[in-house]
Amino acid sequence: MPTAHSIQSIDFLTAFSESVLAYPIVLSIHLTCIALFGGMILATDLRLLGLTFKSLTITEMVTSLRPWKRVGGTIMIAMGLLLAASKAETYAPNPFFWTKMIILGLIGVHALIFRPIVYSKTEELDRSPVIPPKAKIAAILSLVLWTSMFVMGRLIAYWD
Amino acid sequence: MLLENAIADTLNNNEWTFALAECVHIGGFAVAIGSIALVDFRLLNLGLRRETAARILRYTELWTLIALLFVMFSGVALFLSQVDIYRVNLIFPIKMYVLAAALIYNFTVHRKVAKMENPPPVLSKLVATMSLLLWVSVVFGGIFTGFLV
Repeated sequence: MPTAHSIQSIDFLTAFSESVLAYPIVLSIHLTCIALFGGMILATDLRLLGLTFKSLTITEMVTSLRPWKRVGGTIMIAMGLLLAASKAETYAPNPFFWTKMIILGLIGVHALIFRPIVYSKTEELDRSPVIPPKAKIAAILSLVLWTSMFVMGRLIAYWD
Repeated sequence: MLLENAIADTLNNNEWTFALAECVHIGGFAVAIGSIALVDFRLLNLGLRRETAARILRYTELWTLIALLFVMFSGVALFLSQVDIYRVNLIFPIKMYVLAAALIYNFTVHRKVAKMENPPPVLSKLVATMSLLLWVSVVFGGIFTGFLV
């Protein structure tokens, strides 16, 4: 893979992957974001399913955590791409890595579909006597997508 | 020692059981720390402000506890699968001390302050910051255990 080789040969990325401290620090940040940001996604999805946090409105749950999810998600993806790019030659042929990237794309599609009808319409959901199916579908798909993303991330290490 | 060997054999001879144990371990701490962080974010006034920290704690505490049990069981299994490596690891004991501190802190000081009706804002913020620092340190300790032998 000539492209993968030239990516990981970029001076900065070579120094990064060979550093005793930088690589584990970035990996730790990546995992910390998964914990903090993943917890918020889980909480939001469970609220959309009506399973917990019932004294909080869906609006409060979605909007008050939104800025943190954005910050957390951005750091998580940036750190993840840095980790992958520094080992581009190992990642390029790894099917788990590409599955993970496809799932990341699907998470984008999920946002495009459900933001206008669920996440931007939370006040409407709160007024509804029962949580509409579209909100529950959004939550279940979100849980499935993020869990698969997480499992693929771990499996990357197991392909040889 | 028989049990130790049985667990070690299962994890070492079957790549997928090791991967599964790791997934449970990482997924478990994500849920545990994520649920604790929701209380911390509330204590720091950074989110979920329409509800009290005490209520957020009530919603999350069972999740935290169950997730912590999963983390600990899978963690013990991972440890037993490579006891010799962990015995000489320089970071691992530090991680265990910080973990013990984080656990004790979480079920004493953190819990007490989260349940207070009108805690002084400075106290809430201090306690939440300390909680986040302790748990993030445990994550860093876990990763560094694997990298610095």
